[in-house]
Amino acid sequence: MLFNRNHKTGPVTRAGRMALAAFLSALLAGNAMAQDPKTVPDVTAMSMEDLMNMKVTSVSKHTQKLADAAAAIFVITQEDIRRSGATSIPEALRLAPGLEVARIDQNKWAIGSRGFNGRFDNKLLVLIDGRSVYTPLFSGVYWNIQDVLLEDIDRIEVIRGPGATLWGANAVDGVINIITKPAASTQSAIVKAGAGTEERASGSVRYGGKMGDDTHYRIYGKYFDWGPSNYASGGTAHDAWDAIRGGFRADWTPAGSNSLTVQGDIYRSHYDETLTVPNLTGPNYSSTFPNDGEYSGGNILARWNHTTEGGSMSLQAYYDNTTTVDHMLFEDHQNIFDVDFQDGFHAGNHQQFLWGLGYRSILDHNHSSFTVSLQPNQVNLNQFSAFVQDEISLVDNRLRLTLGTKLEHNTFTGFEVEPNARLLWNLSPKQSVWTAVSRAVRTPALTEHGLRLNSAVIPPGTLSNPYPFPAVLAVFGSHQFNSEDLLAYEFGYRMQATSNLSFDIATFYNRYSNLRSAEPGTPFVEGSPAPTDLVVPFVAANKMSGGTYGLELFADWKVIPRWRLAGSYSYLQMDIHKNSDSQDPTGDIPNGSSPRHQWYLRSSVDLPKHFDQDTTLRFVDHLPGLNLPGYYSLDAHLGWRPVRNLELSIVGQNLLDNQHLEFLPDFVNTSPTVVKRSVFGSITVTF
Amino acid sequence: MLRRLGILIIALSLSLSWAPGALAQDSSDSSEYLIKAGFIFNFAKFVEWPPTTFAQPDSPIVIGILGTDPFGTIIDHIVQDKKIGGRGFVVKRLKWGAEAKDLRECKILFVGASERAHIDELVQIVKFLPILTVGETPGFAEHGGVVRFVLEDNRVRFEVNVDAARQGGLTISSRLLTLARIIQQAPADTRKPG
Repeated sequence: MLFNRNHKTGPVTRAGRMALAAFLSALLAGNAMAQDPKTVPDVTAMSMEDLMNMKVTSVSKHTQKLADAAAAIFVITQEDIRRSGATSIPEALRLAPGLEVARIDQNKWAIGSRGFNGRFDNKLLVLIDGRSVYTPLFSGVYWNIQDVLLEDIDRIEVIRGPGATLWGANAVDGVINIITKPAASTQSAIVKAGAGTEERASGSVRYGGKMGDDTHYRIYGKYFDWGPSNYASGGTAHDAWDAIRGGFRADWTPAGSNSLTVQGDIYRSHYDETLTVPNLTGPNYSSTFPNDGEYSGGNILARWNHTTEGGSMSLQAYYDNTTTVDHMLFEDHQNIFDVDFQDGFHAGNHQQFLWGLGYRSILDHNHSSFTVSLQPNQVNLNQFSAFVQDEISLVDNRLRLTLGTKLEHNTFTGFEVEPNARLLWNLSPKQSVWTAVSRAVRTPALTEHGLRLNSAVIPPGTLSNPYPFPAVLAVFGSHQFNSEDLLAYEFGYRMQATSNLSFDIATFYNRYSNLRSAEPGTPFVEGSPAPTDLVVPFVAANKMSGGTYGLELFADWKVIPRWRLAGSYSYLQMDIHKNSDSQDPTGDIPNGSSPRHQWYLRSSVDLPKHFDQDTTLRFVDHLPGLNLPGYYSLDAHLGWRPVRNLELSIVGQNLLDNQHLEFLPDFVNTSPTVVKRSVFGSITVTF
Repeated sequence: MLRRLGILIIALSLSLSWAPGALAQDSSDSSEYLIKAGFIFNFAKFVEWPPTTFAQPDSPIVIGILGTDPFGTIIDHIVQDKKIGGRGFVVKRLKWGAEAKDLRECKILFVGASERAHIDELVQIVKFLPILTVGETPGFAEHGGVVRFVLEDNRVRFEVNVDAARQGGLTISSRLLTLARIIQQAPADTRKPG
């Protein structure tokens, strides 16, 4: 009624005005109630159980947690994940302002922050409960195997911008911290089953319990199966996948100052893809065929925490194995052993120090194919790191200056230093301003050192290749490949305008140097494998540089007690170019692989009878470097908790259009598939 | 019409926020803190302090609010003229850096979100004192606070660190404990941004 465009006079307009009046009086009622103490319920006459059943009508969640952070941080809560209908970590990450999340096919994503997005994006560090899931193979993340039971996630902290001082090299444009709940918070048993049009079936089970008073644990198992999507040109694709996973967490928390956590997971996943590889024989010199592969692995982590008079310290060690077998392409076995110690203490009334030491050992062995080969086949890398940070409170705690630096040593580039300085200024209890300057470094990946990737073959006797043998365009790593550098300047502002409305804005200006480029080398003739061919090499070098700048804005508004609106807008301008001594033919692509604008608007409504409804409208701008148009996506979720232990949920995604492409593959030529309109429903029972 | 409506709604909500004095009142008209004030009143009912804590049989229960006060006049209103076990209530506002004497006077100490950075230090000071520390920031209970309010599905819940209570000499009635989530010193990664 309110949004009637016909401008009819008479009953419609009157009804419109009445609705507006009712709407506004509801808006004002929230404020009016408190000003008259007589209408306030007498909470002292209520029992504890009654108090626990009362619904809170206005909350200022965000600023309580984030007001003190001098960084562009966004926290995705468990409630956000549940109500968005996301069933995987990548889908949940769409809620963070400034993150680019693009689906390449059913089992591959390109996720990045502040530019440089790609399947093998290397500037984002991701951790799950303190364990880094960044693979040194290509300095990126295998998103399809990063999975936890979503109900056990406490929150996901998304920090855009460099986090190198605390988190180390490769936390160049962002850090994503996935934190699960302690075992004491997951003592119930849950069984969840779901089915849908894309995610055909899924099931998960979790059981929590305790041994004595001091030890709590949980164990879980989950399985899911996705059907294939379609090609952009139509027709069913070959990109189905499934995964099975299980794990546990145990926390020992006796009285006193020590506590211990042990957790681990194992998983196995099988996936399909359509792969195109070049070959040396005609007539097409390339073949496209259905391919498949497996990921499997496991990890175990232990963390000991000790609190003392002045602070606390922790010692963490983990082992992680990731095995990827991509039939016809590449097989990699990666073993990582990591030990990390950190200690925090107060010095005087105004300073808080944090320092730490770390060691990581990486063992990798691989098997090559004609298309992808990595030398050496077996490698052992050792990394050492140390960091120190001082947080200084000034001016009656209104100003907080943080100075810190990280020093690392790695096998490829030796020593790296990553200092940063941050300043937080609490203008008032409701407003704060922060600024930061940081240096971050992205160290070389195993592939950048020793890869050979045959990208394409140009047939003999053609215009581009007049020779009588095929010409292989091949990308090579180089032992001379160096670290990429970033100097970042950031500024942000937060305001809690009312208890129902808050704003958060973060801006940045990044200067990059020594970015990866591919320089043409001297072609050479290769006799084996037969037949003879001419190799045209493109060798990895560090001859790109430039700047990026942008802003991320987030607003959170509790319009009326049962209705929350959240909006996010991000702007990114990239000006990356090759250096004057570079002859990289693909220099412009990074600028065009990230969207200039992204925004979303999310409405969360609490309906009567224990229903809750969320709707999200998203826009992602076009990607000119990939020739992909921008798109809108509308997702809607409905949840229902008819009784305390039962939850039903149904979510529809991409409701506006039938299908759209979000990204294209890079380096490995798999066929991209579209993201289709889909529906998924689930039932969760708690015991 | 849609556009004008949108502008009207935004203008109205902004005017509500910029009205003089509105900022302070806004925090008290949130029923979240009304409910939490109700809980604090109930905590006084179900917590026993050691007999030597109170000088006289009718010495008041002092509720201290440390840092930025999210309650406003709500908490003063609800405890006014109420008595538990013959004791009335007194509400005091404290700033960090207050004399240790002022802190020790409190039987219940609410630690505001603005004091997040001082929690570890505060816990060291009051660990063995019979003070029921109440907070609402993440990790409050794990770091040694006795009670932490948590919002779940828009309802107020609370966690209790029984060891912290025990160390302070407080006895918490099982009636309260059955409704609470029990927290023990859980391991935490102290790295955080900024």
